[in-house]
Amino acid sequence: MDAILQVDNLTKHYAGFLLDHVSFSVPKGTIMGLIGENGAGKSTTINAILDLVHKDDGTVTFWGQELSSSKQLKEDIGVVFDGINFYETLTPAKVGKISRAAYKQWDGYLYQDFLKRFCLPADKEIKTLSKGMKMKLCIAAALSHKPKLLILDEATGGLDPVMRDDILDVFLEFVQDENHSILMSSHITTDLEKVADYITFIHQGKMLFCKTKDELRYQYGIIRCGADLFSQIDKTEILAYRKDDYQWNVLVADKEKAAGKYKNAIVDNATVDDILLLYVKGEQVK
Amino acid sequence: MKSLVLKDLYNIGHNAKTMLFILAVLAVAFIPTSGASGYIFISAVLCGMMIVTTFAFDDQSKWTRYAMIMPLSKKDLVAAKFVVLAIFCTIGTLLGLALSAVGMFIAEKGPLDFAAIGELLFLALAAWAVSFIIGGMAILLVLRYGAEKGRVLLLVSFLIPASVCFGVYQLLVLLGVVMTDRLIFGLLCGSPAIAFLWCYVMYQISCRIFARQEL
Repeated sequence: MDAILQVDNLTKHYAGFLLDHVSFSVPKGTIMGLIGENGAGKSTTINAILDLVHKDDGTVTFWGQELSSSKQLKEDIGVVFDGINFYETLTPAKVGKISRAAYKQWDGYLYQDFLKRFCLPADKEIKTLSKGMKMKLCIAAALSHKPKLLILDEATGGLDPVMRDDILDVFLEFVQDENHSILMSSHITTDLEKVADYITFIHQGKMLFCKTKDELRYQYGIIRCGADLFSQIDKTEILAYRKDDYQWNVLVADKEKAAGKYKNAIVDNATVDDILLLYVKGEQVK
Repeated sequence: MKSLVLKDLYNIGHNAKTMLFILAVLAVAFIPTSGASGYIFISAVLCGMMIVTTFAFDDQSKWTRYAMIMPLSKKDLVAAKFVVLAIFCTIGTLLGLALSAVGMFIAEKGPLDFAAIGELLFLALAAWAVSFIIGGMAILLVLRYGAEKGRVLLLVSFLIPASVCFGVYQLLVLLGVVMTDRLIFGLLCGSPAIAFLWCYVMYQISCRIFARQEL
């Protein structure tokens, strides 16, 4: 399993916040989803990966090299932040000219194709474009220098479901090339459920897990039970739990085992949203 | 670096009409009363100060963090700002020179003589150097304190180089150097070189400040 991006023990201190030894890798041909509540450390992780903030500890390598070691490395990395980073009086045509001057690998024809595909008018000022169109422009610019790794920081946030679906299709198309990968942070977990191969969960600056989406989907489960049954559950099996009005919701890593062991309990499938909510709003067994 | 320069020129291009209008109004107000000399300096410094506006545009669009994901270094970013400053100063000086020449042509009711043209060119050279020096100081201050505070510190951008010049002048007087017309002429002729040296120092300090910053 060749990793395009390798993050080891990434640590960053801020006043009142610690990104604590986060480690994961993004293999070739896959989409890695980075989830967590607002302020969990997703953007800090991405900023530290991109050398936009100084790391206090840890290493980040792209294709085995540190980002600071070569400008060429940046040619192979496309980044989309949560908003457009070009001044609002520029037009998509000017964005293309600016980007062409920056990237050796820039493909003007590909950029024009993206503009046509996304129905982006080349000569309209950015301020006249809708949020979705601005996002598409960012994606067009990020893809037109032919990157092998796409890093997306809340790139689909604030878009309507139709626009999100269009954009997710572009990402899926991008990873059809097995040398391409995507690292995608989002708090819209349904997007990640649709496209991600791996999920890394960051909570309060700590990495809780990095697992394949299928493992979460097919193995994780939620036991719905009353207080009596809850007291019988082996506490070592509980990842997180939360008490609603009349029911206990207990997250377990092996739903088949739980269903066999606790016959009277209802064991539901766990969505990424459920897992995130139980970890963030629930409690962990000490 | 070309992309960074291009970006600033495109961004500021939107304000070009406003700047031309301001310069035309100032030309009407200044040239007939105070002559061309002051106007060339005003034009050069005003255009040079547009460099602070480019920082404000960058801040507004969070451009800097985006630029750092491009195949560019922090040094490239700083260097590009000095290149853009040089372009703005040149445009301001040439506009000042052209409008002054037109103003003088109208005032004199005829073409200018060689001495007047020579004087204008000499003033333009000094105006370019002054605006480049002030702009270089402004870049450093904006990088250190941000675009919003940097605007407030524009006066400081003028006062610091002026204080340095005054200090050097006092030192020369203390050393017994007599400021003759010839020496002043020589210093003014060499002012672009002094401006380049000043901005090289500003560039080095700016790079160190910017290297420590998180985006």
